[in-house]
Amino acid sequence: MAVCIAVIAKENYPLYIQSITTENELKFHYTVHTSLDVVDEKISAMGKALVDQRELYLGLLYPTEDYKVYGYVTNSKVKFVMVADSSNTALRDNEIHSMFQKLHNSYIDVMCNPFYNPGDCIHSRAFDNMVTSMMMQVC
Amino acid sequence: GGGCGGRRPGGRAAAERRGACGGEMAQCVQSVQEFIQDSFVPLVAALCSEEAERLTRKNNLGFSELVKPFCRLTSEVHMRDPNNQLHVIKNLKIAVNNIITHSPQPGGIRKLLNDVVSVSQPTEGLVTNVITAGDYDLNISATTPWFESYRESFLQSMPASDHEFLNHYVACMLVVSSGEPEPVEQFLKLSQEQHRIQHSSEYAYPKWFIPNTLKYYVLLHDVSAGEEQRADSVYEEMKQRYGTQGCYLLKINSRGSNRGADEQIPDPWSQYLQKNSIQTQESYDDGPYTVISNKNADHLISDDLDNDIQVDGLSNNFKAHPLQLDHLSDTSSSFDGTDYIKTTSSLHESKKTSSGTPHGACLTLTDHDRIRQFIQEFTFRGLLPHIEKTIRQLNDQLISRKGLSRSLFSATKKWFSGSKVPEKSINELKNTSGLLYPPEAPELQIRKMADLCFLVQHYELAYSCYHTAKKDFLNDQAMLYAAGALEMAAVSAFLQPGAPRPYPAHYMDTAIQTYRDICKNMVLAERCVLLSAEILKSQSKYSDAAALLIRLTSEDSDLRSALLLEQAAHCFINMKSPMVRKFAFHMILAGHRYSKAGQKKHALRCYSQAMQVYKGKGWSLAEDHINFTIGRQSFTLRQLDNAVSAFRHILINDSKQPAAQQGTFLREYLYVYKNVTQLSPDGPLPQLPLPYINNSATRVFFGHDRRPSEGEKQAATHISLDQEYDCESSHQWKELEEQVVAVVNKGIIPSNFQPTQYCLNSYSDNSKFPLAVVEEPVTVEVAFRNPLKVPLLLTDLSLLWKFQPKDFNAKHNGETKELACGNDMIGAEVIAEFLINSEETKMARLKLFPHQTGELHILGVVYNLGTIQGTMMLDGIDPSIGLQAGKFVYNGMSVRGRQELEIQGPRLNNTKEEKTSIKYGPDRRLDPIITEEMPLLEVFFINFPTGLLCGEIRKAYVEFVNVSKCPLTALKVVSKHPEFFYFWWKYCCSNTTESLSF
Repeated sequence: MAVCIAVIAKENYPLYIQSITTENELKFHYTVHTSLDVVDEKISAMGKALVDQRELYLGLLYPTEDYKVYGYVTNSKVKFVMVADSSNTALRDNEIHSMFQKLHNSYIDVMCNPFYNPGDCIHSRAFDNMVTSMMMQVC
Repeated sequence: GGGCGGRRPGGRAAAERRGACGGEMAQCVQSVQEFIQDSFVPLVAALCSEEAERLTRKNNLGFSELVKPFCRLTSEVHMRDPNNQLHVIKNLKIAVNNIITHSPQPGGIRKLLNDVVSVSQPTEGLVTNVITAGDYDLNISATTPWFESYRESFLQSMPASDHEFLNHYVACMLVVSSGEPEPVEQFLKLSQEQHRIQHSSEYAYPKWFIPNTLKYYVLLHDVSAGEEQRADSVYEEMKQRYGTQGCYLLKINSRGSNRGADEQIPDPWSQYLQKNSIQTQESYDDGPYTVISNKNADHLISDDLDNDIQVDGLSNNFKAHPLQLDHLSDTSSSFDGTDYIKTTSSLHESKKTSSGTPHGACLTLTDHDRIRQFIQEFTFRGLLPHIEKTIRQLNDQLISRKGLSRSLFSATKKWFSGSKVPEKSINELKNTSGLLYPPEAPELQIRKMADLCFLVQHYELAYSCYHTAKKDFLNDQAMLYAAGALEMAAVSAFLQPGAPRPYPAHYMDTAIQTYRDICKNMVLAERCVLLSAEILKSQSKYSDAAALLIRLTSEDSDLRSALLLEQAAHCFINMKSPMVRKFAFHMILAGHRYSKAGQKKHALRCYSQAMQVYKGKGWSLAEDHINFTIGRQSFTLRQLDNAVSAFRHILINDSKQPAAQQGTFLREYLYVYKNVTQLSPDGPLPQLPLPYINNSATRVFFGHDRRPSEGEKQAATHISLDQEYDCESSHQWKELEEQVVAVVNKGIIPSNFQPTQYCLNSYSDNSKFPLAVVEEPVTVEVAFRNPLKVPLLLTDLSLLWKFQPKDFNAKHNGETKELACGNDMIGAEVIAEFLINSEETKMARLKLFPHQTGELHILGVVYNLGTIQGTMMLDGIDPSIGLQAGKFVYNGMSVRGRQELEIQGPRLNNTKEEKTSIKYGPDRRLDPIITEEMPLLEVFFINFPTGLLCGEIRKAYVEFVNVSKCPLTALKVVSKHPEFFYFWWKYCCSNTTESLSF
């Protein structure tokens, strides 16, 4: 399914970034970083009033030759970015949506941990397992 | 100071001015309209007699070069269009070229473009814009002159194609000298020659606009050498023969070549000619490593005189296109030498000499005016009437063909709307790119007319012609032609005064797609992209421009891809809400392509600019990658300091790289470092970034290692480096010591008393200089930590110190000895090998043996840093340098360097001032004072009980040993519970050892 999942802080530094293989890791980092421009663009395109009640899921940010990049922004401006293989046509938009929601829930669990300092990198086994399961679901 | 202060505001003003007029970065200095106009100008061929060429050569110039600076008209021109409407032409430029009968070769063009780009580097004081976007402040070069010169050269070097006529010759100048025996005969010869070139099947190149090319007869007269009367009479004869409008007498060389060197005359040629005489060069920085390839610096891309292919005494070299690579191989044989700009063998000199060999040495300012006048006269009386006439003829043809006497617009439309499928014979010419028309096919007439209108800036007419032509070509499925018409229709729509219609970007998109995918012609596609991107940028459609630029990047040309990606990056940063990250990403892609294209400096610049975005934002993997690349590029460019600091960065940051990657980083770092140190072997030892040293964990121990307990003998001390610091017990000992000192001094503790501290650490009081005794070792324990996932090997590890010998009895000033040199005063222990495994923290104990009294300062550690796995060679960097002198440890390489030990003292918190500010006290644990010999007592317990019953009495032995040569007297024993002990003395065998039981 997903080949790379990233959680980006409000200030646009990575809180968590995990990709399926290590060999393309750098490429994914670049892809995720560049996609933040599109996220910014999409958010700023919306009016101020709309921002509060907007849909958190931003949809497809942009397609590259090999991958599709999807985005999701929480109300606290934490961004979730998911890179999926573009050859995987079975992946529907609403599936991506639900994956993001699962990710969001898992992220909330991390935030609820009293030992977690908001803004720190995420080191959570539960979150790791969640992300891994999303990347493992091979179609 | 005054001069500097004076210059500053000027620089800022310049920056503001640039900012005000350009507004955006990476934009051309000229406007878009000017840029497009100058990209398509009427082409005029020049055919010179040998004698005429010789006259111009006196000025170090060919004929076409001579007139080049004067090819832009300063005044407006009027002409009438086919509907007899007056049309104003402003700022017209023409191009005069020598006839070259070979089409430019792709290899030559590639090389030329590569050279153009590599020569154009940002200068030190290049104006940079500061872009603030979100929390990013980026310094970006305000202009990209390398791209502009690339674009100019690219457009000029485009080979003429059959599907368009814009770069076909409209007219031909025939140039003859007045000094020739038979000038009129020579004109006839030249005229025949031109006819032969145009009409015989021998030459497919150059291309001519229409069959009857305008011939313009120019009589060149050398004022200083020729007879004026004769020139005038020849000119009269010419006027008879060719009409006053068809010929011209141009007088030049008013100044003898040998005099008037003192007179300064502006050289308008230098800016034009530099581009033609670009050398093949990899311009490295002027460093000791500079590699100069003399082989390539020797030749000059200018029209060489190849004697074997001279035709009919004409000096024009028809065979050699300036872009041809051929004369690389045979420069030595064909170089005529005397008249040509000589390049010196030195690369650096040749850069300067391009301005050093003056052009136009025989020309006065009057001559300049004469040439200007000549070009103006030629354009007004010769070229434009010819074009006007041709447009009329073409228009009449188009109308007559349909037998209608209406205006062109409706007529052409009707004619073309009813056009049939072309004949079978034409169909046979079909190839992958669709239909091909023969050169004089009726279908092409309208395109010719459109091109002529375009060249004389009649954009309305041009647009409607292109538009009609486009439909016609599309009907015929002549895709190449259709793409050409689409391209120019879009451009002329944009250039129409008053912009009656919006710029049809989709025309361009279709044209680009057709050129690229159907015709497989990347050069034409690239021209489209360059034009369209510039137009879109001028309309602030930056994201469209960027998409266009990115779409044309492909595998076939790294240089083009690099330049286009860089421009795309600039588009992203210019958008209303700047896309900083996209900018950075595309800069990295551009840098990658530059480096593949061999443009190392440009690559480095791109990466450095991208670095600004990634730096310190937590994207460590990307940051490491950029730093690594910057390091490598800097290294190949011999900017070793940059390379070292970039590599250092990768290793200092908490790296999240996998172990293999870290290993590579480390090896490359060591390799580069090795080169730096070889460069300056006498310089100070470099500071190494690895391993980390936990400065505050440094412990210092004074005295000998305690003798280990043997059997029942037990050292009666808890102080050693193996022992953890225990706050409570050390406090107890301190109290006891104070008590005994008070007893000895009759109840008063002396003010200068300090409790004995054998082992100093971060908990002990380090505010005073500790005392060490001569001939007793000082042990320093340094806490190393290896942050990497690969092991580090330190070899020849020892302490670095400074010693000031001082005899505390007889005062004399000893000189300061730096570093480990005075072994007679201080002996230093060296650890031969010290391996720190991955991510391990390990202590190293290093000893110094002071042999003299004085002040010792322990500064740091010195060692060779190396790896233990190092079988792989560095790719990309020539390994031979490392091999010849490298010292390999376990197949890895190592460099010698140092790290300083700097311990911050405790935060001061006593006075109010100290409380309100942040101040740290000194930490002197590494600055012991070496005092004279003192007695040194060692105490051992023998059979010391570990547990006792209440009221039980046991006998135990205590052994006192004075290890020093100094006698020890007045030994006191102090205890918190003196009532528990009873002493009974027994002298032992040796005179220094006493034992006592209690």
